[in-house]
Amino acid sequence: MLAYVVRRILATIPVMLVVALVVFSMLMLAPGDPAAVIAGDQATPQDVERIRQALGLDRPFFVQFADFLWRLLHLDLGTSIFTNLPVTHMIAQRIEPTLALMVLTIVLAVSVAVPLGVVAAWKAGSWIDRGVMLFAVFGFSVPVFVVGYLLAYFFALEWELLPVQGYTPLGEGFLPFLENLILPAIALGTVYIALIARITRATMLEVLAQDYIRTAKAKGLGTRPILFLHGLKNAAVPISTVVGIGIALLIGGAVVTESVFAIPGLGRLTVDAILRRDYPVIQGVVLLFSFVYVLINLLIDLLYTLFDPRIRY
Amino acid sequence: MKRRSVLKAAAALTAGAATGLPAPAIAQGAARVLRFVPQANLANFDPIWGTQFVVRNASMLVWDTLYGIDNSFTPRRQMVESEEVSADGLTWTFRLRPGLRWHDGEPVLARDCVASLERWMVRDGMGQMIRALRQELVAVDDRTFRLRLSAPYPKLLFALGKNNTPIAFMMPERIAKTDPFQQITEFVGSGPMRFNRAEWVPGARATWTRFEQYVPRDEPPNWLAGGKRMLFDRIEWIIQPDPATAAAALQAGEVDWWETPLTDLIPVLRRNRNIRIDIADPLGNVGCLRFNHLHPPFNDVRARQAIAWVVNQADFMRAVVGGDDGLWRPMFSYFTPETPNYTEAGSEILKNTRDPAMARRLLQEAGYNGEPVVMLVAQDLAPLSAMGQVANALLRSIGMNVDYVATDWGTVGARRASREPRERGGWNIFFTWFAGADCTNPASYLGLRAHGEGAWFGWPNDPAIERGRDKWFAARNAEEERAACEEISRAAMISQPFTPTGFYRAYQAWRTNVSGIVPGPLPWFWGVSKA
Repeated sequence: MLAYVVRRILATIPVMLVVALVVFSMLMLAPGDPAAVIAGDQATPQDVERIRQALGLDRPFFVQFADFLWRLLHLDLGTSIFTNLPVTHMIAQRIEPTLALMVLTIVLAVSVAVPLGVVAAWKAGSWIDRGVMLFAVFGFSVPVFVVGYLLAYFFALEWELLPVQGYTPLGEGFLPFLENLILPAIALGTVYIALIARITRATMLEVLAQDYIRTAKAKGLGTRPILFLHGLKNAAVPISTVVGIGIALLIGGAVVTESVFAIPGLGRLTVDAILRRDYPVIQGVVLLFSFVYVLINLLIDLLYTLFDPRIRY
Repeated sequence: MKRRSVLKAAAALTAGAATGLPAPAIAQGAARVLRFVPQANLANFDPIWGTQFVVRNASMLVWDTLYGIDNSFTPRRQMVESEEVSADGLTWTFRLRPGLRWHDGEPVLARDCVASLERWMVRDGMGQMIRALRQELVAVDDRTFRLRLSAPYPKLLFALGKNNTPIAFMMPERIAKTDPFQQITEFVGSGPMRFNRAEWVPGARATWTRFEQYVPRDEPPNWLAGGKRMLFDRIEWIIQPDPATAAAALQAGEVDWWETPLTDLIPVLRRNRNIRIDIADPLGNVGCLRFNHLHPPFNDVRARQAIAWVVNQADFMRAVVGGDDGLWRPMFSYFTPETPNYTEAGSEILKNTRDPAMARRLLQEAGYNGEPVVMLVAQDLAPLSAMGQVANALLRSIGMNVDYVATDWGTVGARRASREPRERGGWNIFFTWFAGADCTNPASYLGLRAHGEGAWFGWPNDPAIERGRDKWFAARNAEEERAACEEISRAAMISQPFTPTGFYRAYQAWRTNVSGIVPGPLPWFWGVSKA
């Protein structure tokens, strides 16, 4: 097991290198010039050229890439072209809100979606089942920003129960922290709940049709142990897989959610950096997201062994 | 009291009763904090290195100027106590006000101002002219410095006090010695507010705290001139990437003042009795359809004139500002309406009945034969996207083959610098707007420069425009300035360095408990208070 974990962690190195090369190449090939953005609309072409030189953007592609890799080896993600702040500092400033939003969303989604899916499978064909599936269709179909606006309109503007926007760090109190994050988490979690609920339902339907469930019923076991002890445990592998895959969905959704609720997280940092062609920041954030994604997949793979003792690494 | 506040108060009192601890004061001290939503993200904080308006507006709080223009565009003394000019107009001696201090407590010295001017002169258009004339710029003593020129420069005080970017902000010598093409790393000024660097989260928040040792002038505030009295202990800029969220935050009272509300959201804000709406900047903006003068078809003046003959500014402006006709007006001029230099000299090409037949004939005479016309349109900036769509239909209506390149501003910003023909990645037309404040005179009006290779993107070459510009700089009174502007206008209407697509203004919005907001080319924070 330990050897497997080490192997997997080592395997992330070539993955990250490929990601770094792809991201770097795409940025260099993409149109746009940070020097032009910095110089502003009133700048002369000479000003733009001098800024480009000062930033080192006039150097050949491979020189810039080699420089980037060298710094990366020293865990230095570089300095933002625009803010002149280290990229690691900017990521550190922004990571808490994004992490908090994602964790809250996952907790919320799993704790709502799994019971919903289980109940829907248990009551397959009933109005409860149809209601859950209707919600799933809604969750998949309505964009995150629409859900966000609707929530903000009702809960913040109409009923004045929660703030419209912003973020309060956890260190300043749990209640203000939750107040700011609950609407974004619901908005972001809607599609995630829909996804997990559907998968849970489908998997549970399959599991509940197995012989051992019939045997459990014949033994006289109650509904709860059948559903959650025998049923859900055996359905957990595909569900946890979807939870893992859904992290990518969350990363994409976080960009929109953070904009709608003005949360100073990594999603907004990424969008701002892309619009301004702030290459070091884009590279840093994409590398971080890729690393997190690889790690989460590793974690999910390890979780399989808990759910299914037959799985060995 | 808002429902949330009531609920919070109840929760706090309950918690206090349960724990025996005193309940926290609700919104304690909130009246001394201004929460402001700026027009854009404060991504950098060096007003000489980065010339974006948002940087200038933020810098105004931290760095002071030697002079400042008032709402009549007259430069008034600000950090300067007095000045002397020799009879030949070549030697200027400036004396600083006593008691000026930097935010680190050190006194403001003449050598700081000399270093600041040296850095500014590299990046600013007027500064470069002064630099070309400079024979000597030295500190005479701690409060006095001298500038000796090789020729008189009548616009010197205007240059030192203008509000167009980059502004001649004063910085401590050690900071001002930074290469003008590198960012400064220390944000120490002598202005009325201190920048809280540790709280700066680019893209999210920037904050300032009142500088207790700032000594405002005695005169009442008037734009950049007069006493900059701060009535807040703290100013918070809250960056809002989404206009709908900014509108909701203003309605909910989570922010106090929104610099640039989206026109579409104005009706919603108007319905809220706690919000006031007014014109943000009376000097507004000038829409610009910019030609590339280096390559066909617009290297031929007749092709440019063809476009001018069919541009209907009402179509452009309604696309930009929507149905609110109070926000725009036609502008048969290159200079900002309702300002002293506004002139319609030679403007028949824009003013007369629109004439597509004339446009087609001119295009034919220019040798245009259906070649693609590359039009760069930034989709992420609503006014530019709107202008692009109108122009696309317009050019097609006169038989032009438009290659409509829908992209983002970052790409336009880079591609417009290309001098190559369209086959090799070049361009023929792009859109932008100029701040009306920049178009009140030729000083900082880069779009109206026409000195060929050295000119702004598009590189127009028209000696007649440049001659008029030289006359404006040499003008010694308002009449001479106006005559020079008329000469520029007549020449520009013929050669069309760009075609103005109209003049439009924008709104600003604030909570009714905020008072003292004065419309202007940038948000003035001095004199503003909150009940």
